[in-house]
Amino acid sequence: MMKALLEPKMLMTIALMGTIVYITYLTKRNATASDFFVGGRSFGWFTNGSAIGGDYLSAATFLGIAGLTFQLGYDGAYYAFCFSIGLTLLAIFVAGPLRRFGAFTVADFLAYRFHSRRARLVAVAVVLAISGFYAAPQLLGAAQILSMFFGTSYEFGIIFTCIVMVFYVGIGGMKGTTINQALELWIRLGAFVVMLIAAIYSGLHYDKILAAINSFSGPITGTSPYALDGNNVNFDGAAWTGTGFYFPTFWQTISMTIGLALGTIGLPHILLRFYTNPSAKAARKSALMAIGIASTFFLLAVYLGVVGRSIFISGTASEEVMRDLVLGGNNMVIPTTALALGGKWLLGLVIAGAFAAIFSNLSGLFITSSGALAHDLYASVMKKDITEKQRVVAGKVAIVILGILYGALGLLVKDASIGHLVALAFTVAASTFTPIFILGIWWRGMTEKGAIAGLLIGLGVSMWMIFLPGTLPSFLQFKIPGIITVPVGFLSVIIVSLLDRKVPADVNDFMKRVHSKESETA
Amino acid sequence: MAEVGSHDYEYVEAGTIDVKDLPPLDATTNKIMKDEFTTGFSLTVFYFILIFSIPVMNWFAPELAFKKILGGMTVTWFVTTVVMMVMAFIIAYVHTTLYEKRLKKYEILNK
Repeated sequence: MMKALLEPKMLMTIALMGTIVYITYLTKRNATASDFFVGGRSFGWFTNGSAIGGDYLSAATFLGIAGLTFQLGYDGAYYAFCFSIGLTLLAIFVAGPLRRFGAFTVADFLAYRFHSRRARLVAVAVVLAISGFYAAPQLLGAAQILSMFFGTSYEFGIIFTCIVMVFYVGIGGMKGTTINQALELWIRLGAFVVMLIAAIYSGLHYDKILAAINSFSGPITGTSPYALDGNNVNFDGAAWTGTGFYFPTFWQTISMTIGLALGTIGLPHILLRFYTNPSAKAARKSALMAIGIASTFFLLAVYLGVVGRSIFISGTASEEVMRDLVLGGNNMVIPTTALALGGKWLLGLVIAGAFAAIFSNLSGLFITSSGALAHDLYASVMKKDITEKQRVVAGKVAIVILGILYGALGLLVKDASIGHLVALAFTVAASTFTPIFILGIWWRGMTEKGAIAGLLIGLGVSMWMIFLPGTLPSFLQFKIPGIITVPVGFLSVIIVSLLDRKVPADVNDFMKRVHSKESETA
Repeated sequence: MAEVGSHDYEYVEAGTIDVKDLPPLDATTNKIMKDEFTTGFSLTVFYFILIFSIPVMNWFAPELAFKKILGGMTVTWFVTTVVMMVMAFIIAYVHTTLYEKRLKKYEILNK
């Protein structure tokens, strides 16, 4: 027992958990709804920028991108490129005006922009759908790490992670979440940098390993004991470094690009981050910082996926590494590569980094969805005369409910790819909230009916194309259907608004509010 | 409507009007929005031209896309996974810089 506790992976994970508990204890005082949902808008651009980075760079980045690159080669790296686009677009069109708007949640924006309870309710449903899509793969990642490296069952991993999240988000609220996210970002960036140094020190230079992979073709030695059919796994390096491996046509690639590039603008847990800045100027600076961090991360994640593949085909890796790379699936490439590069200590650091990524992102999702349930549904629609204290309690009760819901979702996605599930969340976001925020902030002609139509049609079409592609003709079956669902989302808003023509009477005041310069230096 | 510049939004009821009856925006807000949107849209168009040039190159000019330039690294691998990551930051940085310049210009004009 003592020996197990002294294992590096256990020590690092306990250290991370201890840090989370400590920070949560320090930030447990959440007297007002502003404290609980937006951290009292008290964090500067550096902490917020780190927290946005922490929120955005989830298990999909830390584990999923390297895994997709390991599995799919260039097509997997293309995911990273697409994920890197959206924060820039968000910084350009949404960050500053959204902060000047100054509410608590994404649904607040619709409710106040259009003075509509209906719009708020529809937004709540979409927030919960996107957050669920995003949360499930994070829980999957946590459960797989616990299963692979700590020997627990998948189900235990899901339940344990949900309990940890309910504790730290329920007690710390947005304040604890923000500080933990900022800290957790630097932990996993640190883990990636150490892996980078270890890889370069081992002679695994980017150009050399790509050359070796490109020229490899045939069976990979050492994989037969772990492969299902008992034969060595075959690998074609030239196909891996080319395109068309996973996205077989030009239009499939374009569809994915559109869905992922525009998805960030519609992610509720990222949009919420801009409310926590003290001013619009700080919101832009924190977006810029997050973009720099995200770009660095994606670059490293792709490289480490290539390193993993290079180790896999080298014929010199240990049995443990080969077993984990064959059986662990593409989600576990980063921890396995860490084990190969730096032994148990590097593995321990990376496991802590993976948990940091998962907790960081999950906490943002929990806060966002808690806001949707407690602030948008309960306080604003069902029971309007409640005190600040009751709002905070409602937020905490919502966290517990979400722990149960997300746990159930996590149990359903056991064999899925983290990166691909998150890509689907991006597609739904791109087809629903992205048109709403871009058009709502910049176009006076948008109406309440247009907004509701955009959300419902965008959500319906994207869910249909994702879950029921077999009902569509083959030319409409896209792995990531952004090329259809995003224009449908935008056009729904525009066409219904043009037909309806009933704009809010105070829309000019709204535009002055969100585009005014008076509050820039506040 | 809550005061412009205040940080917490106060919910106020408001009716609707037909879009044809909507009065024009005040000159200041109109100018600010036009300047911001023009800058943002121009940068976005430039950015999307770069973004879509990658799949176009991959599928329609593969001899260029998959030409090796750094050991085993192809042109498209380098552009997609390195150049475009840097570009994401550069575009946002340019936007923030131009925005802060406009802000100073408005402050001078308002004095």
